[in-house]
Amino acid sequence: MSVRERGRRALERLVAASAVERALISLASLVLAVAIGTVIILVAGRMTTCDAAAFVLTHPTSVGVPGLFRVGIPELFRMGFCHDPVTVFDRLFLGALADPLSPGWDPLDGQIAVTLRETTVLVFTGLSVALAFRAGIFNIGTQGQMVVGALATALVVLWVAPLVSGVVGAVLLVPFGLLVGAAFGGFYGAIPGALKAYADANEVITTIMLNFIATGVVLFLVSEVFKDPASQANQTVPLPDDALFPPVLFGGRFGFSVLALVFALAAVLALAYLLSRTSFGYDIRTSGVQPQAAEYGGVDARRTIVASMTLSGALGGLAGAVYVLMILGNFETGVPAYGFDGITVAILAGNNPLGVPFAALLFGVLKSGTTVVQFATDVPPQLVGVLRGLIILFVAMPEFFRMLGRRVVPPERGRPTEPGTAATDGGRFRGDDARSADGEQVRGGGGDAVDGPGRDPGGGRE
Amino acid sequence: MSQPAVELREITKRFPGVVANDEVDLTVERGSVHALLGENGAGKTTLMNVLYGLYEPTDGTVVVDGRERGFDSPRDAIDAGVGMIHQHFMLVDPMTVTENITLGNEPRRFGGLAVDRERARREVVELSERYGFDVDPDARIEDVSVGVQQRVEILKALYRGADVLVLDEPTAVLTPQEVEDLFAVLAELTDQGKTVVFITHKLGEAMTAADRITVLRDGRNVGSVAADETTREELAELMVGREVLLDVERPATDFGDEVLDVAGLTVTDERGVRAVDDLSLSVREGEIFGVAGVDGNGQRELVEAITGLVRPDDGTIRLEGADLTDRSRRERIEAGMSYVPEDRQEQGLVMAFALVENAILGSQHAPPFARDGRLDWDRAGEHADSVVSEYDVRPPDARTEAGDLSGGNQQKFVVGRELERDPTLLVAAHPTRGVDVGSIEFIHERLLELRAQGVGILLVSSKLAEVQALSDRLAVIYEGEFVDVVDPADTTEEELGLLMAGERPDTTGDPGTDTAERGATEPPEESTGETGTADGSGGGGE
Repeated sequence: MSVRERGRRALERLVAASAVERALISLASLVLAVAIGTVIILVAGRMTTCDAAAFVLTHPTSVGVPGLFRVGIPELFRMGFCHDPVTVFDRLFLGALADPLSPGWDPLDGQIAVTLRETTVLVFTGLSVALAFRAGIFNIGTQGQMVVGALATALVVLWVAPLVSGVVGAVLLVPFGLLVGAAFGGFYGAIPGALKAYADANEVITTIMLNFIATGVVLFLVSEVFKDPASQANQTVPLPDDALFPPVLFGGRFGFSVLALVFALAAVLALAYLLSRTSFGYDIRTSGVQPQAAEYGGVDARRTIVASMTLSGALGGLAGAVYVLMILGNFETGVPAYGFDGITVAILAGNNPLGVPFAALLFGVLKSGTTVVQFATDVPPQLVGVLRGLIILFVAMPEFFRMLGRRVVPPERGRPTEPGTAATDGGRFRGDDARSADGEQVRGGGGDAVDGPGRDPGGGRE
Repeated sequence: MSQPAVELREITKRFPGVVANDEVDLTVERGSVHALLGENGAGKTTLMNVLYGLYEPTDGTVVVDGRERGFDSPRDAIDAGVGMIHQHFMLVDPMTVTENITLGNEPRRFGGLAVDRERARREVVELSERYGFDVDPDARIEDVSVGVQQRVEILKALYRGADVLVLDEPTAVLTPQEVEDLFAVLAELTDQGKTVVFITHKLGEAMTAADRITVLRDGRNVGSVAADETTREELAELMVGREVLLDVERPATDFGDEVLDVAGLTVTDERGVRAVDDLSLSVREGEIFGVAGVDGNGQRELVEAITGLVRPDDGTIRLEGADLTDRSRRERIEAGMSYVPEDRQEQGLVMAFALVENAILGSQHAPPFARDGRLDWDRAGEHADSVVSEYDVRPPDARTEAGDLSGGNQQKFVVGRELERDPTLLVAAHPTRGVDVGSIEFIHERLLELRAQGVGILLVSSKLAEVQALSDRLAVIYEGEFVDVVDPADTTEEELGLLMAGERPDTTGDPGTDTAERGATEPPEESTGETGTADGSGGGGE
């Protein structure tokens, strides 16, 4: 079996995996990532110098049963390392959750607030990307939509805040701010949507470009027009406290509000409902998996593209609004890459809204755990970054390959339940390059398989 | 005169839930043309994929040249001298015939550093001359006809040293003239000692081209016969297991008002060719208007323009008097237009969706399945269950994903969904394609029931017998135009055949019918090829 064929089979297997299998695959990936991370930490620990070894690798010098006998073994090796992998991973995961396994666990610990704060924003960006994905659109522009939404929220709320005050202000301003963020983010998402629908412009290209435009224009506006004169940094004046998410349960200094998290979870449920139980969601899903069938079913492809990109952008804008109203309290340039993390969150969640909070929580833990590791050890932040990247890479890759695999071996062809028919009656269909020779269904790659034997010997030619 | 070229012994191939081949024995004599005949889904292609090493058999042995073989991949099969020509060609369009044939096995120069183009070309010319192939070695694949492309595929297999050639539905993509040429090529190949196995579901082709015919039904070998010792009736019975009765009871009805009125319709396809050319037709309530013709004469474009998937360049489309020409697909569905598409896997069904979800495709915005933009999945489930049970969709579980059904069951589900929509107009393109005989009869009955209820039906089918039996009026389409609109009861299959070949009843000097009748038995010289069209498609119509 050639490597290629093996790869295809693995892909097919992955595409056909059930939900439980997928969860187990993710878990196994996590374990594998930790194992490889351990090796990296040890190697890095050997290459730095330190006063005392944080971790010593050796073996028992005697075996036996206590009281009966013992056999002494000469010490063969004893190796010290400057970083302790156990501590690193312990802090990274458990530290971010304020040590849930220890008896004195406080679920209202500040570190948990930090974790949930990151999670909340990532839920919105994750939903944004996932929704577009479901419509068959690769929205890389969530970051830009978030930035636009964030600045718009800050400016409009600053403008409106003096008009209302007191209790009324507190009740109205936050929802209003969210609405503004969603509106501007939605508009900024509608642009690439319209470009794709009416000008056939690839959304990957346009959203990436619009990210740069958003960042650039926002930098100009904040540094030249709306800059807080009292500050050195490129930021606006602070929003009045009335206009911000009130801290509930957790203290105000962590920048986290349970209300925002509840709102995020409500958005998760709303989106899940939209996709599975509404006509619009049906249109989105149909266009996403099989555009031709959608067209047959009366779905207006262009309208669906624009509408789903608008909604996706609105979710990105909400992320920005929450970022401003919950975390910052004003707008400052240099918005962290929540939008890009959202892509990975969405992939990890299998583009299922209900999976997004869990994926976002993993990200939240890693982000918040990073700071804990830095406090607890002298492991350099760059190394922690590597570990984080490694974990994300490993956990997201199986889902990513599933998405790829579905393009290479679409589900209907990947499952060999239909042996003869597809081949014999597919003859007059158009666009049927792969379906015809149904050898491809099982062995995969009839095209490759047929030409392969001839091509392989000549492989050196290429 | 020795051991058979290929021997398959008790081949069993199981897929999850399906036995595609059940202890099939097949013996192919050296130097013969062997036809593997059977309906869609009978397991023909699976069996050949086992021979070609694409599938590993669950049980049984493959013997080639008297030696038992275990093919792990097509490469092993090719090494053993078995070559397969798939229905869809594996050719590189911008490359020349020679380059395609030698691809991967090019003669080398300079110690393997460069391709010896001279020698490659010489070898290809020699090869095609030896077998009497008329192929220009320097032509680009994209510039040559489908028939020539197929010959290139055959040459490619021969160039790689194939002794046994397996062709999967080789005639499906060919014009009737090309079919004849292909059969001549097959005869030449066997004269020179090659062995040919070809898959077909067309009786006529098997009878014409093969020395022996093996019939598969439901994955079993139900009989091997010599082509000159059998009759069409015998083969047909072997294929379907019982007599096929296509005599449909079509009671007379009164036609009502015009449901569909198409005037001056012109459609340009994606290649810029006028696929439908200034075509007009009308369908009345309670009428089945049939469109017959060789596939690819504009049927698809006609149907898609009417149903709103393709924008016509010119002309008007009216449904019950209302101008729908500029209306969207959805508006047309809501106006009462049902559509069984030709392409169920790309259009008619969402493969990754369960049948429940597919049951509302096209109705996802309208009551009873949707209210205020929300979907009522309970209703959708009931609807899906009723379609599944009434149209005998298997497995009878509406939670099955559409992609997990066999082609015939997919088709039954699409037909069921569209027929149960309570339409005013039904556009049905090949509604019984790939469906088993029992279901064909059921679908025909349902079509006639709709007709009795006053639904206008536009029926497009490549099965001549089907359109002839069901239609009240029958139009024959050729190159985007109606050659004639006839009363199917007064028209013979031969006459239709000629019409399908583009022979206009009034364009020749002789009176129309006269020409047609004479043509069928004694074709006029200049139209030999086109008479072939008539025969080919007539036979192809089963």
